[in-house]
Amino acid sequence: SSSDDSSSDSGSTKTFKVAFNQNSAHPQAKAIAEIGEKLKEQTGGKYALELFPDELLGAQAETIEMVQSGSVEMAIVGGSLLENFNPDFAVVNLPYLYESAEHQMKVLNDPEIVGDLYSSMDDKNIHVLASYHGGIRNVYTTKGPVTTPADLKGQKIRVIGSDTNVRMMELMGGVGTPMAQGEVYTAIQSGVLDGAENNELIYSDLAHAEIAGFYSYTKHLMMPDTLIINPKVLADMDEESRKVLTDAVAASVDTELSLFQEGVEAAKAKAEAAGAKFNDADVEAFRTAVLPLHEERLTTDVTKAIYDKIEAAR
Amino acid sequence: MTRVKRYLDVVLKTICVSLFALLVILVSWQVITRLVLNNPSVWTEEAARYVFIWLSLIGISIATGEKADVCIDFLVRKVPVFWQRWVEVLAYLCTLSFATIVMVWGGWDNAMLTWDQKNPVLPLNAGVLYLAVPVSGALLTLYLLFHLVRTLSPSYTGVEEIAPEDEVEL
Amino acid sequence: MTDAATIGFVLLGGMALLLAIGAPVSISIALPSAVCMVLVLGWDNGILTSAQRMFKGVDSFPLLAIPFFVLAGQIMNNGGIAARLINLAKVMVGKTPGPLTQTNVMANMLFGAISGSAVAAAAAVGTTMSPMQKKEGYDKAFSAAANVASAPAGMLIPPSNTLIVFALASGGTSIGALFMAGYIPGILWALSCAVVVWWYARKRPELNATSWTPFPVVVKTFLQALPSLTLVVIVIGGIVAGKFTPTEGSAVAVVYALLLSFLYRAIKVSDLPHILYTACRTSSVVIFLIGVSSIMSWVMSFTKIPQLMAESLFGWTDSKVVVLLIMMVLLLIIGIPLDPTPAILIFTPIFLPIAIDFGIHPVHFGIMMVFNLSIAVISPPSAPVLFVGAQVAGARLEAVIARLMPFFLVLIAVLFLVVFVPELSLWLPRLTGLI
Ligand code: NA
Ligand code: NA
Repeated sequence: SSSDDSSSDSGSTKTFKVAFNQNSAHPQAKAIAEIGEKLKEQTGGKYALELFPDELLGAQAETIEMVQSGSVEMAIVGGSLLENFNPDFAVVNLPYLYESAEHQMKVLNDPEIVGDLYSSMDDKNIHVLASYHGGIRNVYTTKGPVTTPADLKGQKIRVIGSDTNVRMMELMGGVGTPMAQGEVYTAIQSGVLDGAENNELIYSDLAHAEIAGFYSYTKHLMMPDTLIINPKVLADMDEESRKVLTDAVAASVDTELSLFQEGVEAAKAKAEAAGAKFNDADVEAFRTAVLPLHEERLTTDVTKAIYDKIEAAR
Repeated sequence: MTRVKRYLDVVLKTICVSLFALLVILVSWQVITRLVLNNPSVWTEEAARYVFIWLSLIGISIATGEKADVCIDFLVRKVPVFWQRWVEVLAYLCTLSFATIVMVWGGWDNAMLTWDQKNPVLPLNAGVLYLAVPVSGALLTLYLLFHLVRTLSPSYTGVEEIAPEDEVEL
Repeated sequence: MTDAATIGFVLLGGMALLLAIGAPVSISIALPSAVCMVLVLGWDNGILTSAQRMFKGVDSFPLLAIPFFVLAGQIMNNGGIAARLINLAKVMVGKTPGPLTQTNVMANMLFGAISGSAVAAAAAVGTTMSPMQKKEGYDKAFSAAANVASAPAGMLIPPSNTLIVFALASGGTSIGALFMAGYIPGILWALSCAVVVWWYARKRPELNATSWTPFPVVVKTFLQALPSLTLVVIVIGGIVAGKFTPTEGSAVAVVYALLLSFLYRAIKVSDLPHILYTACRTSSVVIFLIGVSSIMSWVMSFTKIPQLMAESLFGWTDSKVVVLLIMMVLLLIIGIPLDPTPAILIFTPIFLPIAIDFGIHPVHFGIMMVFNLSIAVISPPSAPVLFVGAQVAGARLEAVIARLMPFFLVLIAVLFLVVFVPELSLWLPRLTGLI
């Protein structure tokens, strides 16, 4: 078996463990598989990757700590979690920041724009190799389609537990309610929540389509997922292999994006089969309502500079 | 030494009772902010989680102090009292090694690793919250040393019966 | 040196040795797991990651329900609320042998169904019922065993987080269909516990009421129990109606029980520290165990022990019955040290494709898997429900384990029914058009 190989010739092959919170069919898991194959082939078996999907090694926040300590070499984590290590990361997680997934990937993997940000945590043993597209988050509810901010009035919508996200939902018209993802399904079913916000993949995979049938394209949030590595691991690689790795990572960004978009179509079809209805929303109205948040959260020169470059690349 | 233990018991019990009461208030407040005020609190769930962790980890040290933790000791009871003493010492040393090496040492390293990691909603760093592990490990160590000394003392009469029976009065 | 076999050997051997010398169960799990952690990660990262896993094992909002329900149970006992409820249950169960234990079994089924947590059910119902049973001459270890055995029924009866985890791991089996499918096996679980209790109590005259209660007494008992019943209605009703989550419901139960006890003047404010402290001590022991168990889960995931076991066991047979039997036995064994969530996440991708190849419906497979792992949460050494049950009853662990044996036998028999009679799982979802 594959695990046997890695232990039997561990003397010659260095296998990097990659922690991941979703299943192995996820576009990002496939991106890691692609990187792994190239790395193994082009370094002549010197290096390989081994994916640990399904949160088996812990939730995302915990796997960052494992990368820091060196227990695992790499992990894919939500960009918002990096704000806890460098608050400047908040700039890439703002709502209504990117025009499209392509715009997002272009700016987030352009060293001219984010280069220093990605190596800003090297002293904390976290280095960002790349940002992946993590979907476009939209609002879904039990009661009916949401087209304007007024439609969300009084509705309790589950959001990620941070001030920014609660404030964002407030500006969008609803009541942002932080809750652990594991409790969301039953909370929507019992009525503790009126809905939640997430991308189509999560909406379909977590079967929320069964209980909250109205998915409205508010397109409010595009938070990147980041591939992080312990910088010591990177430094210990020989120069040639390191280049193989970084090139493979860069190439995988496009693969991931196109797989993600295919995944969205499949997820949408599956959700529709389960009875969900998809509808457009007045994105401009929501965007106008949320824009004050940009002013509120851009407090440092670093974030303002990055923000301006992202805006300029629209 | 017994006096020191009694003093420690009182302090820790007071902390546990206060933290537990705080926990009830926090979660009730969370329900109220959502149901009555329609303005869900962002920080209560996070705060409740950490109060709960500190409560549980301090709780385990006094539970160990009162020998209220779960053991299966029917095998040990079958051997002569002379050997019971040494088997019990061995068991304490095992627990002690976990408490000191993993909880105090590993836990301290972990707290230091996360010392500059911010919490998304609370004005605390993650390391402060992780300190619960080494603190609990240190308290456990104190209680275990106390038990160890008692086991080695001449008045030792064999494995004690552990039965927290009198606790639920009617 | 540090291959999966070594890790497996150190884990199991170390655990057996430590349990034999009477070390706490938590340490018997924690120390060998930490040793394995050092073997695979080296000294510095090994001890650091062990400490981190322990912390994260405790760091979970839903776990809060444990201390809260233990506390609510103790307040209900001290405040006379429990006594009124149990009197009502007793007059209603009438001449059934072992009425209090039967009540405990049924209450666990209902409570577990609503809260979705076997540990919370064992904590809340056990804390309330065990002092009563002890007072009436029931064997402490037996009533604890019945409480433990019946608590997981709620993992199968919806809503159930465990079934949701399976739905996710299986790549999108309908949660609605799984929920429907869980009803009959879940109720069978509770009924089989009731049968064991009946068998045990039927020849013990002290556990049998001699006659039915006269009607006026029933009415009086009901009226006396009414305010206490309101507690049940508020907590369960609040969860069902979507006013709060089960975890929050546990806090609401504490507050309501407290108010009612003050009203009955059964509890003084000066009693509170002692009640809070005992509840804290009881739940800490369990929480600590759950915390250290996650060190072991992590080491097993990291070294891929479960996958290796599975891979080496399949492939030499093409008999559906044999393959199913291997799966069930493997899950029963792996469930002994591992918790249901990691077990489902690890095994579903390995087992489900094989099962589907043999024509087994994914919904049926999910139910048999969760049924199987529900047996695991009461089987030592990693058995949070068992520990909570023994703790709240103040019973010796080995005595409770001994009394659990007949329950295990009956539950394993029911497991085979569930495995080999697919209609037990599939009939309801078919009837409701979900599959
Ligand atoms: Na349930
Ligand atoms: Na178990």
